[in-house]
Formats: sequence, structure tokens, C-alpha cells
Amino acid sequence: MKLDIGGEETFPMAAEPLWTALNDPAVLKKCIPGCQDMIAVGDDRYKLILALRVASVGGTFEGEIVLSDKIAPARCRVSVTGSGTLGHGEGSATFSLASDANGAAIMRYAGEGEIGGLVAGVGQRVLKGVAKHLVGQFFKAFRREVTGVV
Amino acid sequence: MSEAPRTFRFVSSDRRVREDRRFVVGKGRFAADIAVPGLRHVALVTCPYPAARIVGIDKTAALAMPGVHYVLDGRELAAATLPLAAGLDTPHVPRRPLAVDIARYAGEWVVAVVADTRALAEDAAERVKISYERLPFVLDAEDALKSDAPLVHAGHGSNVLLDRTFVWGEVERDFAESPRHLSLRVKWGRSSTVPIETFAVAASWDPWREMLDVWASIQMPKYPDQTATALKLPASSVRVHYDVDVGGSYGVKRGIKHTVLVGYLTKRLGFPVRLIEDRLENMRGGDAHGPERLFDVDVAFDDTGVIRSMRMRALDNVGAYAGRSPFQLGKPVGAIVGPYRIRSVQYRAIAVTSNKTVQEAVRAFGQSPTNYAIERIIEEVANSLGLDRLEARRRNLIRKEEFPYLIPSGSTYDSGDYHTVIDKVLAHADYGALVAERDRLRAGGMLAGIGLATCLEPSGGNSSFEPLLNPKNTTTTWMDSCRISVDATGAITATMHTASAGQGHETLVGTVVGETLELDPERIRVVRPDSLSALPSNSPVGSRMAVMLGGAAFHAARKLREKLVAIASHDLGVPLERAHYREGGVFDRDAPERRLGWMDLVTVAHRNFHKLPPDMEPGLSVSHVMQVPTGGALPTADGRVQMYPCFSFEFHLILMAIDPELGKPEIRRYVVGHDCGTVINPKIVHGMTMGGIAHGIGAALYEEFAYDDEGQLLAQSFMDYLLPSSHEVPPVEIVHHVTPSPHTVFGQKGSGESGYLGAPAAIASAINDALKPLGISVNTLPIKVSLLGDMIAAAREKIGEPQGVE
Repeated sequence: MKLDIGGEETFPMAAEPLWTALNDPAVLKKCIPGCQDMIAVGDDRYKLILALRVASVGGTFEGEIVLSDKIAPARCRVSVTGSGTLGHGEGSATFSLASDANGAAIMRYAGEGEIGGLVAGVGQRVLKGVAKHLVGQFFKAFRREVTGVV
Repeated sequence: MSEAPRTFRFVSSDRRVREDRRFVVGKGRFAADIAVPGLRHVALVTCPYPAARIVGIDKTAALAMPGVHYVLDGRELAAATLPLAAGLDTPHVPRRPLAVDIARYAGEWVVAVVADTRALAEDAAERVKISYERLPFVLDAEDALKSDAPLVHAGHGSNVLLDRTFVWGEVERDFAESPRHLSLRVKWGRSSTVPIETFAVAASWDPWREMLDVWASIQMPKYPDQTATALKLPASSVRVHYDVDVGGSYGVKRGIKHTVLVGYLTKRLGFPVRLIEDRLENMRGGDAHGPERLFDVDVAFDDTGVIRSMRMRALDNVGAYAGRSPFQLGKPVGAIVGPYRIRSVQYRAIAVTSNKTVQEAVRAFGQSPTNYAIERIIEEVANSLGLDRLEARRRNLIRKEEFPYLIPSGSTYDSGDYHTVIDKVLAHADYGALVAERDRLRAGGMLAGIGLATCLEPSGGNSSFEPLLNPKNTTTTWMDSCRISVDATGAITATMHTASAGQGHETLVGTVVGETLELDPERIRVVRPDSLSALPSNSPVGSRMAVMLGGAAFHAARKLREKLVAIASHDLGVPLERAHYREGGVFDRDAPERRLGWMDLVTVAHRNFHKLPPDMEPGLSVSHVMQVPTGGALPTADGRVQMYPCFSFEFHLILMAIDPELGKPEIRRYVVGHDCGTVINPKIVHGMTMGGIAHGIGAALYEEFAYDDEGQLLAQSFMDYLLPSSHEVPPVEIVHHVTPSPHTVFGQKGSGESGYLGAPAAIASAINDALKPLGISVNTLPIKVSLLGDMIAAAREKIGEPQGVE
């Protein structure tokens, strides 16, 4: 099934440290929900291992993240592909960073993905909600990471 | 019961179902209960894509886990086995337990992992790394027909497995001469029977005896033969244990791919291996989905609503491989006009492959969808003329005096009295009051409708659809058997030669043998020998066991009686015609005191060879292999054939209320008139009918194996595949009628699919009657609440009716 994600987050800080954090595998590993490991396998290319539960099924997901079209510190495209016992998924999203009049950084993101296999079949009714929840979890952790504020 | 021409001692009496005791106390013996020492367990790795090339399989991590014994892929299995049997002549659509190089539906088995426990096998399955290259796929049957459609099996050259057009009678002339024509497209959605027990099989190979022992949850004709053939073993090296209870089936417990897989593994590994599907494996990859069928129906009729001719095109989406399922387009040929006097028919049957889960046989083997299509069109004929729907049926129904009735496609209906069944149901339900109640509900703001369906259940399960749809298949017998042995102590043991999935066959055999021998059925032990000790048999499919196993048991018991009479005649020195059998003994009709009792006869047979008639075999063991009544002939060149011997009838009458705001249908009253000839055990027939109606309610309103546009099955558990519960299944009132069949020993007909044959059509009828004031109709099943709610809202908006709370 197809999934769309998109949104906007505001951070009380300049864009540069955000950009640095977003490109730091150690930070991402802490913030991506269920992330067990994130290993650099090349330039802007990472191996990702996730453990997740959706609806009545749980399992592991092994994938690859590729960062591309990078214009520091303003834009980046993130592509994810992978599969596991939960099924398979692929998608890409574009992140953009800008500063508003008060000097706060605004991060906008938009993307789409396709999810198949077990998780699509078992969890399709809740999948959109789950995706939104996971994105929310990511930003909550990421905000804590970059601002130190819970 | 209006006309029971014969009285019986035990047949038709409301006796207990002997199997029930063990099930009620939880002592059934199912495949999962079979304890085989040293058993190892299988879990499966499945393809997540609807179509993909298997690029690589990395087994290393899984094999490194302690307790993991083997990881089997499709290439290894294919090298050692033959493809599974297909019904049609489609050699380039090979079907194997594990995908070889290409996987063709999301959920198809790719790799099997064997470990000490099922849990460990599942964990190891997660460690098997398979890389895929995605391929184009097709999901919709009409898309699959297009010339540019992705091919599910490139070697076959198209997605069409079957495309046959039959013309029976003067269709062109009848259409030309009829003043009125009407066309309708209806769709039957993909649902199935989903038993609580998933498929289970344990197999154990003994190399020193060269014997494969199999315990499985099966309802599958030719199961030992097909297993042996695929494993390249003589069938005498495959011993299937039929004495295993089956936890529900109604068609789907076929399991050849499961059995070939574990059969190979136990041979390869040297220890017993078991596979029990979990719910997800069962629903995605158990190859147990039912028909998914699109009907285009045209009818030609006159101004009084009498239908003269019908053209029907049935397009069935059978999924990724051709098993036995395309034959489900063939069985309805035997009742293609339903209970109606339609004198000519054109029938085009098309089966296409798609990248969906494989179909298997489901209760009624394709007849219930066809009945639904016929019932929809007859209601549209009535509507087009402003004619009462019941009156339209009455004008078209075959009349009692017209039986035996030959339909255009070559089957002769044995007997029936449809008008009387309808009248009895209407009287029982007080039809006038029911219509008044519908109108009262409507006046109160509800949508309400009366549902009607008059449907046939072809029974006695022959397999004439095999030679009809596959010219290379020349099968003209579909026998079933019974053996009765009386031991030296006088105890009686009868045999049956298939597994049972809750249909009460032990009760059937006990009742029939008891009736025939005039002995208490409780005295008759009924057992199931394994396949190597079995007589020819075809398993309980096609509503056949009352006719076929009941018939075989009767004929075997009659042979036993004849032997006892011959012994007594010889021993008493009275002519055969004077030796009279009664309740286990034989006496001289002219001098009743000259008599040999049961034990006297048993002793002579077992111990006194010197008292036996010349050339008679000692002992008391008889058997009968029964041919299907009216069977035995190949189809004619234009495809006419006697499909099944007996035709049961059911008339459904429903009152349905639908809340217009919620779109939620509620069945307020459900009455069914049922005529399956002489009833052998009323409790069994009652249970079959109730279960069939519940199943029909599911197929009509709730159950669907839906897919998304990316080929992912969206109903893989009971959270999304909705089964009707006690909340959705109302009390059902059953009105019995008996029109005996002339083809069977007691006048019985089949009842194994009763209820399901007409319930979906009746529910569709009720909903369409309820929707009529809104000027809309629905021609697709299942009619889900969401669909109904949206349709009602849109229609009310269109006609400017106020909706909801402002």
C-alpha cells in the first residue's frame, strides 16, 4: 500500500547544527524508532536494522538508507529500501531547512512510500496511524537530541 | 414431512450423532495431536511481492543457528519431485510447493526451514536472506485477459487457462423470438471457508520399510495417489492414515503442496517432519481462497416474465496456479438453469491466472456464485415488468409433474416439488404479515426488504466436469466404498475410506448398516483404515456422502444379508425364497420356528466350513464399491453431461432491516425451506444447513480476501477477514419437505452444502428490495457496511432526502 508523509517542525536554533545532526548516524540511530543498528557502508549510504511491532505482528526490517541531492545546509533527499519478516518497504522523502524571521529553523519534509508483505496485510487499517506515530517519535527524540529539551 | 413413502427403523429418526461425544469432551484426535517420536517442524519464508524473480537465497545465518536442521529451496525440491497435479491440460503452468526462480503472488512459499521446534524454525526463517527482482504483475481478471497483460506464466503464452463456450439449444432463435431482453453484470467476491484448524500434516519416512506414513487434515480426492506421484513413489509406499479428525474444511483442506513438501523433507532428512500453518501462512499461502467470479448474464423473456433463454459469461480469477479450481466453472453446468425452465443456454466459462493466492475448492464448488447470478437476473426480470418477484419465480420454476426434468446442458433433475416448498415456507412465516412488517419498518424511516432465493444443491458428487473441461481426462467413475466384517464373536465393523471434516459419516454408516441389517446402529463399529487397506474412495466432496457412502454401506449390508440367508437356507434345508431375514436371524417363512439366530449364523460362517453352501467363502466379510448413480458416460461433443445425480432444493425467505444512517444490515427473520429427499439423520442435516447459512451470510456481507493495488492481500487475519459471529447470524427456522430421489436407496439427496447455496442470493435480494425505494441496486458481493452506507448516502443526497442529524 502507498503511504504519504509530510509535515513541518520548528526548532529554536540555526539550521547548521540541525543539518549536522541529521547527517550524523549516531544521532539518527538514537532517534529512529526501533533502530538497532545503523552502519555506514559508503558515502551517504547506511545499512539500517529495525525491530518493530505493528498490529499483531512484529519482526525485523533490514534496509539501506541513501542520502542524495544534498545542498548543505538546506536540502537533502533520503531514500529507504528494505525488507524483513514484516514485509518490504521503499520510499523517499525530501527534507528542507530554512530560517524564519526570528532565527528559528523550520524543517519541512514530504515523501511517499510503498509498503508490502505481512505488515501491509495485517496492519493496513492502522498503518497510516502507525507511520504518523513513528514520525512523531522520531522528531520527539531528534528534538531532545539537538536541543537538550524534553 | 409431507410424503415419506417408506417407514424406517433408524433412518430419519432423531438419533444422536455418534462423533459428537468425542468433540464435545475435547477428545477429537486431530493432526496436531498425532505424537510421532523425533518430530521436527517447518516454517516458511514467503515472497513479499506479487511477482518477483528470486535472485539469491542466503541460508548461512539460518543454518548456523543451533537446532536448525535444514533450509530447503524450490530448486532442490523441484529437482527431486514432479509438479503437482493440475485439473486442466496446462503443462506450462507448473505448480510446485516452493517457488522455483519466480514467485507469482505475495505470500507464495519460497523456502522451508526445518528446526527442533516451530518457534525456532520461525526465528530461523527470519534469518534467511532472499533477494528479489520485482516483475510486472496483474491482479484483475479482465486486465489479465488483455493482450498486453503481464503473463503470470510466460511459458503458457497467455493468462487464460480455460475459455470454453457451450451452446445448448436454440439460443439465437430464442433470443430473436423473445420480445424482451435484459443484461446484468454481477460479481462474486473472493472469499472462502476458513476453518479454525489450519492445514496440518505430519509425515514420517521409514527407509527400511520404504514407507511414507502421513497424518493430515485432509478432504482431498486422490490424495495418496497425487502425493505419491509428485514424490515419485509407488502409491503403495504412501500410507495415509484416515483415522484423523479434521477440524473443519468445506472444500479447502487439499494440502497436496504441504504434503509433498514434508514428504520430501522426511525422506531427505531421515526424521519425521510436521507442518502446521499459522493463520497468516494459511490465509496468504495456504492456496485456499474461493472463487472470484464476474458474471455477464443476458436473458430473453416474454411479457409474462417467462425466461426462454440465457447467455452467461463467467470469468473466474483463479490466482497464480491452476489446481483443481478451474473445475469450479464446470460443476454449475449441471444446474446451469437453477430450478427454472429455461430452454436454451449459452455458457462461456473463462478461467484466468493472476498474481493472487491460488484458489481451491470451496463449499458448493462454484455453484453458489452461479446461483447468485441466476437469482439476481430473475429479480431484474420481475422488476423490469413490475411483476412480484415471487410470482416471477413461480412462473419459471419447474413443476412437480415435469420430473424427471432434462435441462439444456444434459443433466436430468431427479425430483422436486418447488412450489409446495415455497407454499409451506410462506405459510410457516405468515408471508403477508412479513410484508406488512417490512412496510411498517419503511414507514418508520428504516430501509427494509424481503429477501428471496430459490436454489438447487446438486448432490451425489460425480466428477463429470473433469472430462467436460479437460478432454484428456476420461474419468467416468467417482466411486465410494464400504466393507462390513462380522467377526467370530458376532461384532460388526464397517469401514469408510476417507477422512471426515465433521460431516458425521460414522453416524451415517452406522445408521444405514443398522437399518439394512435391522440391528441397533449402536452395535455397528465404524472405522477408517489407512489408504493401503482402503477400498477405492473419493472423499467427502460435492454433497456426496449420504448418496455415495450411504449407498455403499447399504449395498454392502445387503450383500451380508444375502450371505446370511444363503447360509441359513443351506443349513435349514429350505429354499432361498422361503428363507426370511429379520433382525439378524433367518427363519423359514412357512415354519418360523425353524430359525438360525445371529450367533448361529456367525459360528457357521467362521467355524463350520462343513455347514457352508458349496463354494462359499468362509467368514463374514463383504464389500461394495459404488458407482455414482446416473454416472458413467463421457460428455457429448457439445458438452452435455449428467453432472450429479440428485438435486436438493432450498427456498430462503428473509426480512432485512437497514439503518439508513449506518448502512448496517440486520436480519430480522430467516426462514428456509429445505428438501434434500429422505433425511438420514435430522441433526446432521440441521447442522449442515445452519452452518451453510452462516457461511452464506459471511460471503454476502463480510468475508473478502481483498487486495490493494500493489498486490498485497489485505485480509490476512480475522481482524480484517470478518467472519459472522453470533451477533450477525440470526435464529434460522427450517421448514422441511421430503421429495425422495428415485436414484438412491432411501430416497436421500445430498445436504453437505445446504444453506450456502441460497443464502448469499437471498441476502442480496433482501438488500436490493430494501434499496428499491432509493432507486439503486447492488450487484456485487460481499455487500460491506461501508459500501452500503456510501451508496445509501449518495442516493439520498441525489433525491434530496434529509440525512443524519443537521
